[in-house]
Amino acid sequence: MGSRGATALLSRANRMKIKLQSTLEASILEIEDVSYQHAGHAAVKDSANAGETHFNVKIVSPKFDGQSLVKRHRMVYDVLADELRSGLHALSIVAKTPQEAAQN
Amino acid sequence: MATINLSPLHTSSSLRFLSPHSSQNTPTLSFYSHPKPSLAFPSISLKPNRHKPRALTVVSALKKLSETELFAVPAAVEEVVGKFPDVPGVYAVHDKNDVLQFIGISRSIAASVLAHQKSVPELCCSVKVGVVDEPDRTALTQAWKSWMEEHIGATGKVPPGNESGNATWVRQTPKKKPDLRLTPGRHVQLTVPLEELIDRLVKENKVVAFIKGSRSAPMCGFSQRVVGILESEGVDYESIDVLDEEYNYGLRETLKKYSNWPTFPQIFVNGELVGGCDILSSMYEKGELAGLFQK
Repeated sequence: MGSRGATALLSRANRMKIKLQSTLEASILEIEDVSYQHAGHAAVKDSANAGETHFNVKIVSPKFDGQSLVKRHRMVYDVLADELRSGLHALSIVAKTPQEAAQN
Repeated sequence: MATINLSPLHTSSSLRFLSPHSSQNTPTLSFYSHPKPSLAFPSISLKPNRHKPRALTVVSALKKLSETELFAVPAAVEEVVGKFPDVPGVYAVHDKNDVLQFIGISRSIAASVLAHQKSVPELCCSVKVGVVDEPDRTALTQAWKSWMEEHIGATGKVPPGNESGNATWVRQTPKKKPDLRLTPGRHVQLTVPLEELIDRLVKENKVVAFIKGSRSAPMCGFSQRVVGILESEGVDYESIDVLDEEYNYGLRETLKKYSNWPTFPQIFVNGELVGGCDILSSMYEKGELAGLFQK
């Protein structure tokens, strides 16, 4: 129960980081809050968590191996389901396998 | 002999004689409007260049079609602009065998010839020009009619490019399709569940984009990007505004469940979710979209 309270106190970006890291075993994980670019957006104004609605996520995970882009994005969305229900509005996702990441 | 209605009231609908610089939707106005600065040739001024000798310019007042001299269209853009007059009039485009292909009216003959040369170089090899001195709509239409009648009288045929339905010479202003509506209205009881309406919609249409706002005015950057990509690929797609609370009430939540995808826009091809803006953009950048839309 102590940990739950702590999680709620963390910023959304940090919660996302912890969830993605642990569930998808990300080797590279970059999360950027770009909510300021969407200030004034209807959904942003209504949100209780004003300011943490739009993120760019770059994630490299071995679990993406053999998965289509749609599946990879769904995996990310699934991990963040709670956040999406509580005001997270949009993600821009780059999801790669370690091999794909090494090629670039 | 091909039947052709030359009455002024009907010419604009039964025959395509407007220049590419005229809008299809407003034939009446377009006669008076100056050619809009063409996006295709942003760097070229179509105004007569006073510093250049005008000796080469084809200037000829309206004569009979058969008595008008035929001028070759130069390959270089600058020469086309220099050679043909930037004034209103009629023009008759001929192919490489000097066969008449199209008789057009234009606010700028030079701009129209240039546009034709760019879009159909194989058919636009030489041109006859008739400058109309007092170029009001009636005078231009009269000039065009006189050439058309002369040609029909001599050959018994309408120039192929002027035949109804021929879109070779007249740029079709792509009319934006209306956005689709999923329901007849918010307060109308649905006979089928919304989910089934979505299912039918994405399966009955090849490409469907669920976007925020309308396709002509998307309300979010991601939707705008998706519309831009689909338009630039020339895809015939259907769009549905998920923010339309009157005709698509409840769509956002139902669609999220249907597609197991929590954000918008969403793009479906052949009933399958392709993804959102990120995936479409990435496929676009990799050149994978053409293959996807061909399937």
